[in-house]
Amino acid sequence: MEKMKKLAALLLALAMCLALAACGGESAAETEETGTDAASGTEESAGDGADAAETEETDTGDAAAESDLAYVQDKGTLVVGITEFEPLDYQSETGEWIGFDAEMATGFAQSLGVEVQFQLIDWDNKIMELDGGTIDCVWNGMTLTDEVLSAMECSAPYLNNAQVVILPADVAADYDSVESLADLTFAVESGSAGQEQAEVNGFTYTEVMDQATALLEVSSGTADAAIIDSLMAAAMVGEGTSYEGLTYTISLNSEEYGVGFRKGSDLAAALDEYLDSAYADGTMQAIAEEYGVDAALIAR
Amino acid sequence: MFLTVLNALNEGFLQTLKLFAVTLIGALPLGLVISFGSMSRFAPLRWLTRAVVWVIRGTPLMLQLIIIYYVPGQVMEGHSPWPGEFGRFLASCIAFIINYACYFSEIYRGGIQGVPVGQQEAGEVLGMTKRQIFFRVTLLQMIKRIVPPMSNEIITLVKDTSIARIISFQEVIWAGYAFMKGSHGYSGLIWPLFFTGVYYLVFNGALSMLFTWIERKMDYFR
Repeated sequence: MEKMKKLAALLLALAMCLALAACGGESAAETEETGTDAASGTEESAGDGADAAETEETDTGDAAAESDLAYVQDKGTLVVGITEFEPLDYQSETGEWIGFDAEMATGFAQSLGVEVQFQLIDWDNKIMELDGGTIDCVWNGMTLTDEVLSAMECSAPYLNNAQVVILPADVAADYDSVESLADLTFAVESGSAGQEQAEVNGFTYTEVMDQATALLEVSSGTADAAIIDSLMAAAMVGEGTSYEGLTYTISLNSEEYGVGFRKGSDLAAALDEYLDSAYADGTMQAIAEEYGVDAALIAR
Repeated sequence: MFLTVLNALNEGFLQTLKLFAVTLIGALPLGLVISFGSMSRFAPLRWLTRAVVWVIRGTPLMLQLIIIYYVPGQVMEGHSPWPGEFGRFLASCIAFIINYACYFSEIYRGGIQGVPVGQQEAGEVLGMTKRQIFFRVTLLQMIKRIVPPMSNEIITLVKDTSIARIISFQEVIWAGYAFMKGSHGYSGLIWPLFFTGVYYLVFNGALSMLFTWIERKMDYFR
Protein backbone atom coordinates (compact mmCIF):
# COMPACT_ATOMS: atom_id res chain seq x y z
CA MET A 1 0.00 0.00 0.00
CA GLU A 2 2.73 2.41 0.99
CA LYS A 3 4.55 1.58 -2.22
CA MET A 4 1.42 2.27 -4.25
CA LYS A 5 1.10 5.67 -2.65
CA LYS A 6 4.65 6.57 -3.45
CA LEU A 7 4.22 5.43 -7.03
CA ALA A 8 1.05 7.50 -7.39
CA ALA A 9 2.83 10.57 -6.03
CA LEU A 10 5.66 10.10 -8.45
CA LEU A 11 3.30 9.73 -11.39
CA LEU A 12 1.41 12.85 -10.36
CA ALA A 13 4.59 14.83 -10.22
CA LEU A 14 5.68 13.48 -13.57
CA ALA A 15 2.36 14.48 -15.09
CA MET A 16 2.87 18.02 -13.84
CA CYS A 17 6.30 18.19 -15.43
CA LEU A 18 4.94 16.95 -18.72
CA ALA A 19 2.14 19.49 -18.60
CA LEU A 20 4.72 22.21 -18.10
CA ALA A 21 6.84 20.91 -20.95
CA ALA A 22 3.81 20.70 -23.22
CA CYS A 23 3.01 24.33 -22.48
CA GLY A 24 6.46 25.41 -23.54
CA GLY A 25 6.43 23.38 -26.72
CA GLU A 26 3.01 24.55 -27.75
CA SER A 27 3.79 28.21 -27.37
CA ALA A 28 6.84 27.86 -29.57
CA ALA A 29 4.79 26.14 -32.24
CA GLU A 30 2.14 28.84 -32.06
CA THR A 31 4.61 31.64 -32.50
CA GLU A 32 6.06 30.00 -35.52
CA GLU A 33 2.63 29.64 -36.99
CA THR A 34 1.75 33.31 -36.62
CA GLY A 35 5.09 34.03 -38.20
CA THR A 36 4.26 32.10 -41.35
CA ASP A 37 0.71 33.40 -41.41
CA ALA A 38 1.90 36.94 -41.35
CA ALA A 39 4.61 36.37 -43.89
CA SER A 40 2.20 35.03 -46.47
CA GLY A 41 -0.28 37.73 -45.52
CA THR A 42 -3.23 35.36 -45.49
CA GLU A 43 -5.34 34.04 -42.64
CA GLU A 44 -5.72 30.32 -42.98
CA SER A 45 -8.61 29.70 -40.66
CA ALA A 46 -8.66 26.01 -41.59
CA GLY A 47 -5.09 25.60 -40.43
CA ASP A 48 -5.78 27.51 -37.22
CA GLY A 49 -8.88 25.51 -36.46
CA ALA A 50 -6.91 22.30 -36.47
CA ASP A 51 -5.10 23.46 -33.38
CA ALA A 52 -7.69 23.15 -30.65
CA ALA A 53 -5.64 24.94 -28.01
CA GLU A 54 -5.60 28.25 -29.85
CA THR A 55 -8.97 29.70 -29.00
CA GLU A 56 -7.98 33.15 -27.83
CA GLU A 57 -5.17 33.37 -30.30
CA THR A 58 -7.46 34.07 -33.21
CA ASP A 59 -8.49 37.59 -32.22
CA THR A 60 -5.43 38.90 -30.37
CA GLY A 61 -3.01 37.24 -32.76
CA ASP A 62 -4.71 38.61 -35.86
CA ALA A 63 -4.78 42.14 -34.51
CA ALA A 64 -1.02 42.05 -34.04
CA ALA A 65 -0.46 40.51 -37.43
CA GLU A 66 -2.73 43.04 -39.14
CA SER A 67 -0.97 46.19 -38.04
CA ASP A 68 1.84 46.41 -35.57
CA LEU A 69 1.99 50.12 -36.41
CA ALA A 70 -1.61 50.64 -35.24
CA TYR A 71 -0.86 48.61 -32.11
CA VAL A 72 2.14 50.78 -31.22
CA GLN A 73 0.30 54.04 -31.98
CA ASP A 74 -2.65 52.90 -29.93
CA LYS A 75 -0.39 52.11 -27.01
CA GLY A 76 1.46 55.42 -27.38
CA THR A 77 4.99 54.08 -26.83
CA LEU A 78 7.60 52.41 -28.99
CA VAL A 79 9.60 50.13 -26.72
CA VAL A 80 13.11 49.77 -28.15
CA GLY A 81 15.13 46.76 -27.01
CA ILE A 82 18.79 47.65 -26.51
CA THR A 83 21.98 46.64 -24.76
CA GLU A 84 24.64 49.11 -23.69
CA PHE A 85 26.63 49.52 -26.88
CA GLU A 86 28.80 52.56 -27.44
CA PRO A 87 28.51 54.45 -29.83
CA LEU A 88 25.03 53.24 -30.80
CA ASP A 89 23.07 53.01 -27.55
CA TYR A 90 24.67 54.19 -24.33
CA GLN A 91 23.97 56.42 -21.36
CA SER A 92 25.18 59.97 -21.01
CA GLU A 93 26.45 61.25 -17.70
CA THR A 94 22.93 62.28 -16.75
CA GLY A 95 21.56 58.84 -17.53
CA GLU A 96 19.92 59.77 -20.85
CA TRP A 97 20.11 57.24 -23.67
CA ILE A 98 22.29 58.65 -26.43
CA GLY A 99 24.11 57.26 -29.44
CA PHE A 100 23.43 56.94 -33.14
CA ASP A 101 20.76 54.25 -32.78
CA ALA A 102 19.15 55.88 -29.75
CA GLU A 103 18.75 59.22 -31.55
CA MET A 104 17.44 57.65 -34.72
CA ALA A 105 14.96 55.60 -32.68
CA THR A 106 13.78 58.74 -30.89
CA GLY A 107 13.26 60.45 -34.25
CA PHE A 108 11.37 57.47 -35.62
CA ALA A 109 9.07 57.34 -32.59
CA GLN A 110 8.39 61.07 -33.01
CA SER A 111 7.46 60.53 -36.65
CA LEU A 112 4.93 57.92 -35.51
CA GLY A 113 3.56 60.30 -32.89
CA VAL A 114 4.51 58.03 -29.98
CA GLU A 115 6.99 58.20 -27.13
CA VAL A 116 10.20 56.24 -27.27
CA GLN A 117 11.08 54.01 -24.35
CA PHE A 118 14.42 52.22 -24.13
CA GLN A 119 14.46 48.80 -22.54
CA LEU A 120 17.69 47.03 -21.68
CA ILE A 121 17.47 43.37 -22.61
CA ASP A 122 19.58 40.25 -22.49
CA TRP A 123 20.73 39.84 -26.10
CA ASP A 124 20.10 36.08 -26.02
CA ASN A 125 16.42 36.70 -25.29
CA LYS A 126 15.75 39.32 -28.00
CA ILE A 127 13.39 37.16 -30.07
CA MET A 128 11.40 36.05 -27.01
CA GLU A 129 11.13 39.70 -25.92
CA LEU A 130 9.83 40.70 -29.38
CA ASP A 131 7.32 37.87 -29.71
CA GLY A 132 6.12 38.30 -26.14
CA GLY A 133 5.43 41.98 -26.77
CA THR A 134 7.69 43.28 -24.00
CA ILE A 135 9.62 45.21 -26.65
CA ASP A 136 8.54 46.43 -30.10
CA CYS A 137 11.87 46.38 -31.89
CA VAL A 138 15.52 45.46 -31.54
CA TRP A 139 17.57 48.51 -32.50
CA ASN A 140 21.06 48.04 -31.27
CA GLY A 141 23.57 47.56 -34.05
CA MET A 142 22.09 44.20 -34.93
CA THR A 143 23.95 42.36 -37.66
CA LEU A 144 21.57 41.07 -40.31
CA THR A 145 22.44 37.37 -40.23
CA ASP A 146 20.32 34.61 -41.79
CA GLU A 147 19.10 33.72 -38.33
CA VAL A 148 17.95 37.27 -37.58
CA LEU A 149 16.33 37.67 -41.00
CA SER A 150 14.31 34.48 -40.59
CA ALA A 151 13.10 35.31 -37.07
CA MET A 152 12.32 39.02 -37.46
CA GLU A 153 10.88 41.53 -39.89
CA CYS A 154 13.95 43.63 -40.62
CA SER A 155 14.50 47.11 -41.98
CA ALA A 156 16.85 47.74 -44.87
CA PRO A 157 20.50 47.88 -43.67
CA TYR A 158 21.60 51.30 -42.43
CA LEU A 159 25.20 50.87 -41.25
CA ASN A 160 28.20 48.90 -42.49
CA ASN A 161 30.09 46.87 -39.97
CA ALA A 162 32.83 44.27 -39.81
CA GLN A 163 33.92 41.70 -37.29
CA VAL A 164 37.42 42.62 -36.13
CA VAL A 165 40.01 40.80 -34.06
CA ILE A 166 40.98 42.37 -30.73
CA LEU A 167 44.52 41.67 -29.51
CA PRO A 168 46.82 43.00 -26.80
CA ALA A 169 48.66 45.87 -28.49
CA ASP A 170 52.15 44.50 -27.70
CA VAL A 171 51.63 41.26 -29.63
CA ALA A 172 49.34 42.56 -32.37
CA ALA A 173 52.22 42.87 -34.86
CA ASP A 174 52.85 39.11 -34.71
CA TYR A 175 49.41 38.32 -36.06
CA ASP A 176 48.98 39.84 -39.48
CA SER A 177 46.91 37.19 -41.25
CA VAL A 178 43.91 35.03 -40.49
CA GLU A 179 46.16 31.92 -40.64
CA SER A 180 48.44 33.26 -37.92
CA LEU A 181 45.47 33.43 -35.51
CA ALA A 182 44.82 29.70 -35.62
CA ASP A 183 46.57 28.90 -32.31
CA LEU A 184 44.82 31.56 -30.25
CA THR A 185 41.89 31.13 -27.91
CA PHE A 186 39.10 33.58 -28.66
CA ALA A 187 36.35 35.11 -26.56
CA VAL A 188 33.15 35.88 -28.48
CA GLU A 189 29.69 37.05 -27.55
CA SER A 190 27.31 34.13 -27.45
CA GLY A 191 25.08 34.08 -30.53
CA SER A 192 26.84 37.04 -32.13
CA ALA A 193 28.20 37.53 -35.61
CA GLY A 194 31.64 37.28 -33.99
CA GLN A 195 30.91 33.73 -32.93
CA GLU A 196 29.84 32.94 -36.49
CA GLN A 197 33.19 34.21 -37.76
CA ALA A 198 35.07 32.15 -35.16
CA GLU A 199 33.22 29.07 -36.38
CA VAL A 200 33.74 29.83 -40.06
CA ASN A 201 37.48 30.26 -39.51
CA GLY A 202 37.75 27.23 -37.25
CA PHE A 203 39.08 29.17 -34.24
CA THR A 204 39.02 27.80 -30.71
CA TYR A 205 36.63 30.03 -28.79
CA THR A 206 34.78 30.56 -25.54
CA GLU A 207 31.29 32.04 -25.56
CA VAL A 208 30.76 34.92 -23.15
CA MET A 209 27.74 37.04 -22.29
CA ASP A 210 28.45 40.11 -24.39
CA GLN A 211 31.09 41.95 -26.35
CA ALA A 212 32.22 43.98 -23.34
CA THR A 213 32.92 40.74 -21.49
CA ALA A 214 34.89 39.51 -24.49
CA LEU A 215 37.10 42.60 -24.14
CA LEU A 216 37.46 41.97 -20.42
CA GLU A 217 38.61 38.42 -21.19
CA VAL A 218 41.41 39.68 -23.40
CA SER A 219 42.48 42.47 -21.06
CA SER A 220 42.61 40.09 -18.11
CA GLY A 221 44.43 37.44 -20.13
CA THR A 222 41.79 34.72 -19.84
CA ALA A 223 41.48 34.73 -23.62
CA ASP A 224 44.16 35.56 -26.20
CA ALA A 225 41.89 37.49 -28.51
CA ALA A 226 38.30 38.52 -29.10
CA ILE A 227 36.08 39.12 -32.11
CA ILE A 228 33.73 42.11 -31.85
CA ASP A 229 32.00 44.68 -34.05
CA SER A 230 34.34 47.20 -35.64
CA LEU A 231 32.12 50.10 -34.59
CA MET A 232 32.35 49.08 -30.97
CA ALA A 233 36.07 48.41 -31.25
CA ALA A 234 36.62 51.90 -32.59
CA ALA A 235 34.83 53.41 -29.60
CA MET A 236 36.12 51.21 -26.80
CA VAL A 237 39.64 50.05 -27.61
CA GLY A 238 42.99 51.80 -27.97
CA GLU A 239 44.39 55.23 -27.07
CA GLY A 240 42.20 57.33 -24.83
CA THR A 241 39.89 54.49 -23.77
CA SER A 242 39.92 52.24 -20.71
CA TYR A 243 41.41 49.45 -22.82
CA GLU A 244 44.60 51.21 -23.87
CA GLY A 245 46.52 47.94 -23.87
CA LEU A 246 44.33 46.46 -26.59
CA THR A 247 44.07 47.11 -30.27
CA TYR A 248 42.03 45.86 -33.19
CA THR A 249 43.56 44.36 -36.27
CA ILE A 250 42.19 42.13 -39.00
CA SER A 251 38.64 42.40 -40.32
CA LEU A 252 37.21 38.93 -40.80
CA ASN A 253 34.18 39.92 -42.89
CA SER A 254 31.96 42.79 -43.81
CA GLU A 255 28.34 42.94 -42.80
CA GLU A 256 25.40 45.27 -42.26
CA TYR A 257 23.25 46.45 -39.39
CA GLY A 258 19.47 46.56 -39.46
CA VAL A 259 16.53 47.05 -37.12
CA GLY A 260 14.38 44.04 -36.21
CA PHE A 261 10.62 44.01 -35.66
CA ARG A 262 8.10 41.24 -34.98
CA LYS A 263 7.70 38.90 -37.91
CA GLY A 264 5.12 40.32 -40.30
CA SER A 265 5.16 43.77 -38.71
CA ASP A 266 4.41 46.77 -40.91
CA LEU A 267 6.73 48.88 -38.74
CA ALA A 268 9.74 47.73 -40.76
CA ALA A 269 8.37 49.39 -43.91
CA ALA A 270 7.45 52.51 -41.90
CA LEU A 271 11.02 52.71 -40.60
CA ASP A 272 12.50 52.38 -44.08
CA GLU A 273 10.34 55.29 -45.18
CA TYR A 274 11.45 57.35 -42.18
CA LEU A 275 15.15 56.57 -42.75
CA ASP A 276 14.81 57.49 -46.45
CA SER A 277 13.46 60.89 -45.53
CA ALA A 278 16.02 61.40 -42.74
CA TYR A 279 18.80 60.62 -45.20
CA ALA A 280 17.28 62.87 -47.85
CA ASP A 281 17.19 65.92 -45.56
CA GLY A 282 20.61 65.19 -44.06
CA THR A 283 19.61 64.62 -40.41
CA MET A 284 20.81 61.03 -40.50
CA GLN A 285 24.25 62.08 -41.77
CA ALA A 286 24.50 64.79 -39.11
CA ILE A 287 23.73 62.37 -36.29
CA ALA A 288 26.13 59.79 -37.73
CA GLU A 289 28.87 62.42 -37.77
CA GLU A 290 28.15 63.37 -34.17
CA TYR A 291 28.80 59.80 -33.02
CA GLY A 292 31.67 59.11 -35.41
CA VAL A 293 29.95 56.46 -37.50
CA ASP A 294 29.51 58.56 -40.66
CA ALA A 295 32.06 56.48 -42.58
CA ALA A 296 29.94 53.38 -42.01
CA LEU A 297 26.63 54.93 -43.06
CA ILE A 298 24.91 53.23 -45.98
CA ALA A 299 23.70 55.65 -48.66
CA ARG A 300 19.98 55.39 -49.32
CA MET B 1 33.74 59.55 -11.40
CA PHE B 2 33.51 57.70 -8.08
CA LEU B 3 30.33 59.55 -7.13
CA THR B 4 28.68 58.90 -10.49
CA VAL B 5 29.42 55.20 -10.20
CA LEU B 6 28.27 55.15 -6.59
CA ASN B 7 24.99 56.81 -7.53
CA ALA B 8 24.34 54.28 -10.27
CA LEU B 9 25.21 51.37 -8.00
CA ASN B 10 23.00 52.76 -5.24
CA GLU B 11 20.12 52.83 -7.66
CA GLY B 12 20.84 49.24 -8.63
CA PHE B 13 21.13 48.12 -5.03
CA LEU B 14 17.79 49.72 -4.26
CA GLN B 15 16.28 47.36 -6.86
CA THR B 16 18.10 44.46 -5.21
CA LEU B 17 16.69 45.44 -1.82
CA LYS B 18 13.18 45.84 -3.21
CA LEU B 19 13.23 42.36 -4.67
CA PHE B 20 14.75 40.99 -1.45
CA ALA B 21 12.12 42.62 0.79
CA VAL B 22 9.11 41.69 -1.32
CA THR B 23 10.33 38.11 -1.64
CA LEU B 24 10.78 37.82 2.10
CA ILE B 25 7.37 39.33 2.87
CA GLY B 26 5.71 36.97 0.40
CA ALA B 27 7.70 33.80 0.99
CA LEU B 28 7.74 33.71 4.80
CA PRO B 29 3.95 33.19 5.17
CA LEU B 30 3.55 31.24 1.92
CA GLY B 31 6.23 28.83 3.13
CA LEU B 32 4.18 28.15 6.26
CA VAL B 33 1.10 27.38 4.14
CA ILE B 34 3.12 25.01 1.97
CA SER B 35 4.62 23.30 5.03
CA PHE B 36 1.10 22.66 6.36
CA GLY B 37 0.19 21.22 2.97
CA SER B 38 3.15 18.87 3.02
CA MET B 39 2.22 17.70 6.55
CA SER B 40 -1.51 17.41 5.78
CA ARG B 41 -3.34 14.20 6.75
CA PHE B 42 -5.29 14.50 3.48
CA ALA B 43 -3.05 12.43 1.25
CA PRO B 44 -3.75 13.97 -2.21
CA LEU B 45 -3.01 17.47 -0.87
CA ARG B 46 0.16 16.20 0.76
CA TRP B 47 1.33 14.57 -2.48
CA LEU B 48 0.46 17.60 -4.55
CA THR B 49 2.37 20.00 -2.31
CA ARG B 50 5.35 17.69 -2.11
CA ALA B 51 5.33 17.36 -5.90
CA VAL B 52 5.27 21.14 -6.30
CA VAL B 53 8.14 21.49 -3.82
CA TRP B 54 10.03 18.83 -5.73
CA VAL B 55 9.56 20.63 -9.09
CA ILE B 56 10.44 24.07 -7.71
CA ARG B 57 13.45 22.90 -5.75
CA GLY B 58 14.50 20.54 -8.51
CA THR B 59 14.74 23.11 -11.29
CA PRO B 60 17.02 26.16 -11.48
CA LEU B 61 15.59 29.49 -10.37
CA MET B 62 17.02 30.99 -13.54
CA LEU B 63 14.84 28.70 -15.65
CA GLN B 64 11.79 29.47 -13.51
CA LEU B 65 12.37 33.18 -14.10
CA ILE B 66 12.62 32.69 -17.85
CA ILE B 67 9.45 30.55 -17.91
CA ILE B 68 7.41 32.93 -15.75
CA TYR B 69 8.51 35.99 -17.67
CA TYR B 70 8.54 34.79 -21.27
CA VAL B 71 6.05 31.92 -21.62
CA PRO B 72 2.82 33.94 -20.98
CA GLY B 73 3.79 36.43 -23.70
CA GLN B 74 4.49 33.60 -26.14
CA VAL B 75 1.20 31.85 -25.41
CA MET B 76 -0.83 35.05 -25.57
CA GLU B 77 0.74 36.11 -28.85
CA GLY B 78 2.58 39.26 -27.93
CA HIS B 79 0.32 40.38 -25.11
CA SER B 80 2.67 39.77 -22.25
CA PRO B 81 1.14 40.24 -18.80
CA TRP B 82 4.46 41.80 -17.68
CA PRO B 83 4.71 45.15 -19.47
CA GLY B 84 7.55 47.55 -18.83
CA GLU B 85 10.17 47.70 -16.12
CA PHE B 86 7.56 47.07 -13.44
CA GLY B 87 6.50 43.87 -15.17
CA ARG B 88 10.05 42.56 -14.89
CA PHE B 89 10.08 43.37 -11.20
CA LEU B 90 6.70 41.71 -10.67
CA ALA B 91 7.68 38.55 -12.54
CA SER B 92 10.93 38.38 -10.56
CA CYS B 93 9.03 38.76 -7.30
CA ILE B 94 6.62 35.95 -8.15
CA ALA B 95 9.37 33.58 -9.22
CA PHE B 96 11.44 34.34 -6.12
CA ILE B 97 8.48 34.09 -3.72
CA ILE B 98 7.43 30.68 -5.05
CA ASN B 99 10.99 29.40 -5.10
CA TYR B 100 11.94 30.58 -1.64
CA ALA B 101 8.59 29.60 -0.09
CA CYS B 102 9.34 26.00 -1.08
CA TYR B 103 12.74 26.08 0.63
CA PHE B 104 11.28 27.81 3.68
CA SER B 105 8.45 25.25 3.90
CA GLU B 106 10.92 22.42 4.39
CA ILE B 107 12.74 24.36 7.09
CA TYR B 108 9.42 25.06 8.81
CA ARG B 109 8.43 21.40 8.54
CA GLY B 110 11.70 20.37 10.16
CA GLY B 111 11.17 22.97 12.89
CA ILE B 112 7.58 21.94 13.62
CA GLN B 113 8.28 18.23 13.59
CA GLY B 114 11.34 18.83 15.74
CA VAL B 115 9.28 20.15 18.64
CA PRO B 116 8.89 17.17 21.04
CA VAL B 117 5.46 15.49 20.98
CA GLY B 118 5.37 15.90 24.78
CA GLN B 119 4.86 19.63 24.31
CA GLN B 120 1.65 19.08 22.34
CA GLU B 121 0.48 16.44 24.77
CA ALA B 122 1.05 18.83 27.63
CA GLY B 123 -1.11 21.36 25.84
CA GLU B 124 -3.85 18.78 25.35
CA VAL B 125 -3.76 17.89 29.01
CA LEU B 126 -4.23 21.55 29.83
CA GLY B 127 -7.33 21.53 27.64
CA MET B 128 -5.95 23.82 24.89
CA THR B 129 -7.45 23.68 21.41
CA LYS B 130 -5.31 22.64 18.45
CA ARG B 131 -5.06 26.24 17.33
CA GLN B 132 -3.95 27.37 20.79
CA ILE B 133 -1.37 24.59 20.94
CA PHE B 134 0.11 25.63 17.61
CA PHE B 135 0.29 29.36 18.26
CA ARG B 136 1.17 29.29 21.98
CA VAL B 137 3.28 26.17 22.29
CA THR B 138 4.69 24.93 18.99
CA LEU B 139 5.23 28.13 16.99
CA LEU B 140 7.69 29.93 19.26
CA GLN B 141 9.75 26.81 19.89
CA MET B 142 9.80 26.20 16.16
CA ILE B 143 10.98 29.74 15.48
CA LYS B 144 13.93 29.28 17.81
CA ARG B 145 14.89 26.07 16.03
CA ILE B 146 14.68 27.49 12.53
CA VAL B 147 16.66 30.70 13.02
CA PRO B 148 20.05 29.26 11.97
CA PRO B 149 18.83 27.49 8.79
CA MET B 150 16.59 30.44 7.91
CA SER B 151 19.44 32.91 8.25
CA ASN B 152 21.38 30.76 5.80
CA GLU B 153 18.57 30.88 3.25
CA ILE B 154 17.94 34.59 3.73
CA ILE B 155 21.59 35.48 3.20
CA THR B 156 21.57 33.31 0.08
CA LEU B 157 18.45 35.18 -1.06
CA VAL B 158 20.26 38.52 -0.90
CA LYS B 159 22.84 37.21 -3.33
CA ASP B 160 20.40 35.21 -5.47
CA THR B 161 18.50 38.38 -6.41
CA SER B 162 21.25 38.91 -8.99
CA ILE B 163 19.83 35.96 -10.96
CA ALA B 164 16.87 38.17 -11.94
CA ARG B 165 19.18 39.94 -14.40
CA ILE B 166 18.44 37.08 -16.82
CA ILE B 167 15.10 38.77 -17.49
CA SER B 168 16.83 42.16 -17.50
CA PHE B 169 15.83 43.19 -14.00
CA GLN B 170 18.41 45.88 -13.40
CA GLU B 171 19.81 45.15 -9.98
CA VAL B 172 23.19 46.12 -8.63
CA ILE B 173 25.32 43.65 -10.61
CA TRP B 174 23.64 44.80 -13.80
CA ALA B 175 24.45 48.38 -12.82
CA GLY B 176 28.07 47.41 -12.17
CA TYR B 177 28.33 45.52 -15.43
CA ALA B 178 26.89 48.46 -17.36
CA PHE B 179 30.06 50.47 -16.72
CA MET B 180 32.02 48.00 -18.80
CA LYS B 181 29.76 48.69 -21.76
CA GLY B 182 28.90 52.37 -21.39
CA SER B 183 26.87 53.90 -18.62
CA HIS B 184 26.55 57.45 -17.32
CA GLY B 185 29.28 58.65 -19.64
CA TYR B 186 31.85 55.97 -18.80
CA SER B 187 32.75 52.79 -20.62
CA GLY B 188 35.31 50.09 -20.07
CA LEU B 189 35.33 50.51 -16.28
CA ILE B 190 35.83 47.16 -14.61
CA TRP B 191 36.05 48.08 -10.93
CA PRO B 192 32.36 49.02 -10.44
CA LEU B 193 31.41 45.39 -11.03
CA PHE B 194 33.80 44.18 -8.33
CA PHE B 195 32.74 47.01 -6.08
CA THR B 196 29.16 45.69 -5.97
CA GLY B 197 30.53 42.99 -3.65
CA VAL B 198 30.95 45.63 -0.95
CA TYR B 199 27.20 46.29 -1.01
CA TYR B 200 26.38 42.63 -0.49
CA LEU B 201 28.98 42.27 2.24
CA VAL B 202 27.78 45.25 4.24
CA PHE B 203 24.13 44.29 3.93
CA ASN B 204 24.72 40.66 4.82
CA GLY B 205 26.87 41.75 7.75
CA ALA B 206 23.93 43.73 9.10
CA LEU B 207 21.62 40.76 8.54
CA SER B 208 23.98 38.42 10.41
CA MET B 209 23.99 40.78 13.35
CA LEU B 210 20.19 40.84 13.30
CA PHE B 211 20.04 37.04 13.35
CA THR B 212 22.49 36.81 16.26
CA TRP B 213 20.27 39.24 18.15
CA ILE B 214 17.12 37.23 17.38
CA GLU B 215 18.83 34.04 18.52
CA ARG B 216 19.80 35.67 21.79
CA LYS B 217 16.22 36.89 22.25
CA MET B 218 14.97 33.34 21.82
CA ASP B 219 17.42 31.95 24.34
CA TYR B 220 14.81 31.31 27.03
CA PHE B 221 13.60 28.25 25.14
CA ARG B 222 15.90 25.36 25.86
